[in-house]
Amino acid sequence: MSRISSNNEENPVLDTIAVWLYVLLVLIGLISIYSATSEVNQSFQFSLSSVAGRQLIWIGGAVIIILTIAFANVAFIDYFAYGFYAFGILLNLAVLFIGKEISGAKSWFGFGGFGIQPSEFAKVATALAIAKYLGTYGIRFKGTRSVAITMSLFLLPMVIILAQNDTGSALVFLSFFLVLYREGLPGWILLSAVWLVIIAIARIVMEATGISHLWTMGVLLFLASLIVYFGRKNRQLIIATLFVAAASIVFSTAVGFAYTKILKGYQRDRIELVLNLKQDTRNMGYNLEQSRIAIGAGQFVGRGFLKGTQTKMGFVPEQHTDFIFCTIGEEWGFLGVTAFFAIYFGLLYRLIILAERQSTNFGRVLGYGVVCVLFFHVAINIGMTIGIVPVIGIPLPFVSFGGSSLWAFTLLLFIFLKVDEKRR
Amino acid sequence: MDIHRNRRFVYVGLLTLVSLVYLIQIFRLQILDNNYEQKAINNALNKIPIYPDRSIIYDRNGKLLVHNIAMYDLIVFPSKAKGIDTAGFCEIMGINPDDYTKYMALAAENSKKRQKNNVFNGSAVFMSNLSKEQYSAIQENLYRFPGFSVEPKTDRLYAVKGGAHMLGYLGEVSKKLLAKDPYYRPGDLIGITGIERTYEEYIRGIKGVKTVWQDRTYTERGEAKDNEFNSPAQAGPDFYSSIDFDLQEFGESLLSNKRGSVVAIEPSTGEILALINKPDYDPNLLVGEARARSFRKLLIDPKKPLYNRAIKGVYPPGSTFKTVMALIGCQEGVLKQNTLHGCSGGYHLGSLTVGCHPHAAPTDLKGSIGISCNAYYCQVFRDIIDNPKYPNVKAGYAALEKHLRSFGLGSKLGVDLPGENNGNVPTIKQLDKRHGKSWKSSMIISLSIGQGEILLTPMQMANCAAIIANKGWFVTPHLVKGIGANKYLPDEFKKRRYTTVGELYYDWIIDGMEMVTKPGGTAVGTGIQDMVVCAKTGTAQNPHGQDHSLYIAFSPRENPKIAIAVIVENGGYGATWAAPIANLMIENYLNRGKEPKRPDMLERIRTSTVN
Repeated sequence: MSRISSNNEENPVLDTIAVWLYVLLVLIGLISIYSATSEVNQSFQFSLSSVAGRQLIWIGGAVIIILTIAFANVAFIDYFAYGFYAFGILLNLAVLFIGKEISGAKSWFGFGGFGIQPSEFAKVATALAIAKYLGTYGIRFKGTRSVAITMSLFLLPMVIILAQNDTGSALVFLSFFLVLYREGLPGWILLSAVWLVIIAIARIVMEATGISHLWTMGVLLFLASLIVYFGRKNRQLIIATLFVAAASIVFSTAVGFAYTKILKGYQRDRIELVLNLKQDTRNMGYNLEQSRIAIGAGQFVGRGFLKGTQTKMGFVPEQHTDFIFCTIGEEWGFLGVTAFFAIYFGLLYRLIILAERQSTNFGRVLGYGVVCVLFFHVAINIGMTIGIVPVIGIPLPFVSFGGSSLWAFTLLLFIFLKVDEKRR
Repeated sequence: MDIHRNRRFVYVGLLTLVSLVYLIQIFRLQILDNNYEQKAINNALNKIPIYPDRSIIYDRNGKLLVHNIAMYDLIVFPSKAKGIDTAGFCEIMGINPDDYTKYMALAAENSKKRQKNNVFNGSAVFMSNLSKEQYSAIQENLYRFPGFSVEPKTDRLYAVKGGAHMLGYLGEVSKKLLAKDPYYRPGDLIGITGIERTYEEYIRGIKGVKTVWQDRTYTERGEAKDNEFNSPAQAGPDFYSSIDFDLQEFGESLLSNKRGSVVAIEPSTGEILALINKPDYDPNLLVGEARARSFRKLLIDPKKPLYNRAIKGVYPPGSTFKTVMALIGCQEGVLKQNTLHGCSGGYHLGSLTVGCHPHAAPTDLKGSIGISCNAYYCQVFRDIIDNPKYPNVKAGYAALEKHLRSFGLGSKLGVDLPGENNGNVPTIKQLDKRHGKSWKSSMIISLSIGQGEILLTPMQMANCAAIIANKGWFVTPHLVKGIGANKYLPDEFKKRRYTTVGELYYDWIIDGMEMVTKPGGTAVGTGIQDMVVCAKTGTAQNPHGQDHSLYIAFSPRENPKIAIAVIVENGGYGATWAAPIANLMIENYLNRGKEPKRPDMLERIRTSTVN
């Protein structure tokens, strides 16, 4: 699985496959941003003050970041990991007091005409800090102390960013849970978390649509009795199953109570909207429908470059940032989307391979940190444009318009690629 | 050492699972569901209608009757018209704030409806047919009122003051039609009556479409060129009417200050040369922003100026009906040229008396028409339906009824105007109801002289004159001469419709009709020197007061050029009003450009009032 060039200590080089996939994604992003912000059938016009022009400037900045990392010393990165982390935390605290408020979130530093979003860089700092901590000699991800420290490392920035009222960015930090699984976090904890989410959603759907919640219990008991029947020789399994079933019922009842008795009407409305239980064609529901129309209108080969009216005419919200995937879907169709998936998931697979070939815990944890953060963004971002995931405002890394996110993800990826280049 | 190494497969699996699920969902959206592309197009393309000019209408001689004038509608995108300075707007447009609220609510409703139907996006008519003042005021101030725009369209401009009932008028398209026909938008002008209505689909032309890109806020983002939706507007083709407008205007002047109707037909073609009703109205009243106001006024006018008597009014034909009765008598074999019937001041049968005016008796067929003998036709009528060749009176009557219907009586002729009346030819069922099951010829004898249950429209009377002129056939009367460069004429106006009476008998009756304006005829003194008119007077009793003055005629006898029916309501004897009007009109038509030979009569008719 190793590449000759990157294995060669004499001629160290960043992983070529990953770099090329990155370049492709950034270019696709630039083209899509240009298209999403141009007029229909307009002849080619480009200026640095346009949205695409500004993205080009951000890309220029990203190239400088890449070159800097390429000539930096890995030891430096390792050495200052906690320093970065502390700096990141401080910046995110500072923005709470001196930041600019943009659409309800106080998460931007304004510098004249443009802004920097420190929460994007907190992701990089957190990935580094966790890698550093778990990579420290003698630390094993076992025992209350190490688990508590690891979790605090990403829960702390998450809480601060929640305080900035930027829920989307805060949720991203949950992706570090996925990293911990590779380091030994018991699988049942993740599975339980998933299971509890399913139970909670099911209960809310039933409360909202008026289906008797007895169904939940019925289905649960039916599943439990199936497991008990087929596993009747295994006493441990029976006990575990009965415990899970009982716990689920208790949890479901608690959710039901909280939903109907504790939450206020407008809070319930918001949840029901996200779960698609309420029609709201004017606002959020309208946006979701427009996003689906954009992608659906692409059909097999797409409507063609610069011909995506859904995005250009402003029917899709945030067409060049969070909903940039709509432009790809509308203009390049199923063929284009498939190619795009191949590139994006190709990069993620490649990063798993790179992470697995690390000889240090630091390298591996950092690698999985990159994979999980990117994966979380892709899954949430594309999922919301196609109506699978509720709308959570986070960018599509490397593709969405925006300097902070492009620079932060470039930093994240290339620090890891540099670590990978210098692995022993 | 790395005991969790195998967990890498969980990550690979998770990535694969998510990418596959997402691709499947995208496949569903892009490939399986075909509606999204249309939805995207409906979102971003606004189809703006381009209004064509309606047909220009000419008379049979190429005289311009109706053309067009540019008009303007005020259009609004309700969702974009927010934060409008309502007070300023109302002041400029000269409307009050309540109207503003009302118009806006209506526009919003129409806009929503159209978006739902995916016909057009967003825009709706706020006010249609702006006045000149409103147009120039709003045009200067449009920048102050986002969401409003002005769209041009055309309205009618009349080159003439008459012909109202035959031309018809325009009005705003009804809600009912809007629901049925997506061609129309609220506020569109559409033919409501007359030629404008019948030939709406030709006259309206073909709307064009200009498509523009529009964004979510309905802001125009440039013209969308080269797409399948764009099309130019096509003006309605030139419309040539059969009317002779000089004759029409002349007739209108004769009938002024009277109540009644005139219909003139060219017998050989069925083309209507004149269609006159009085009272009538000036068609120029029903255009522009005054349309609705004028229309309401005309609608409640007790003189009923909107009423098209020529095709909707029904009258007993009186003695003019004797011509038809005589023809049927001949066809049935009970009447010959030399058949003589006496008259002793009328027709007497037991206690029944049908009166007649004093004249020399007995008369033959020709004389009976010339002098209009009632007794003669009572006898003819009885001979027809009590004919021993029929088993009973009802069979005899059935034969009569069949002949009458072949003259286009008792049902719509099929004239190219909306709202034609059937008139009435009593059916056996009707007679049973009126007179009991076992009625006799004597009980319905007034039918013989065009009284009783028999009712005709002026159009049907004129058509009877045309039938006699043609000696046995007619073409459905019509107002269209030709549409467009090819002078298209619908097929139904090319067919001859034959009566059940043989050609020979017509000459016998025409001999009588020729006598009418001559010494000894009922309309002596109304004739015009050197002009042969074949005519029949009528004086119809009616329950609405004084007798109606009736007259049917055609001229000349050979190759007749014009057949005419005139009715002057409550005008008394046929010879008093109807006959001179008809004869003057015939003179006007046949001797076009020459000095009228009866200026005295012309002056008298023109200046007289009949109430």
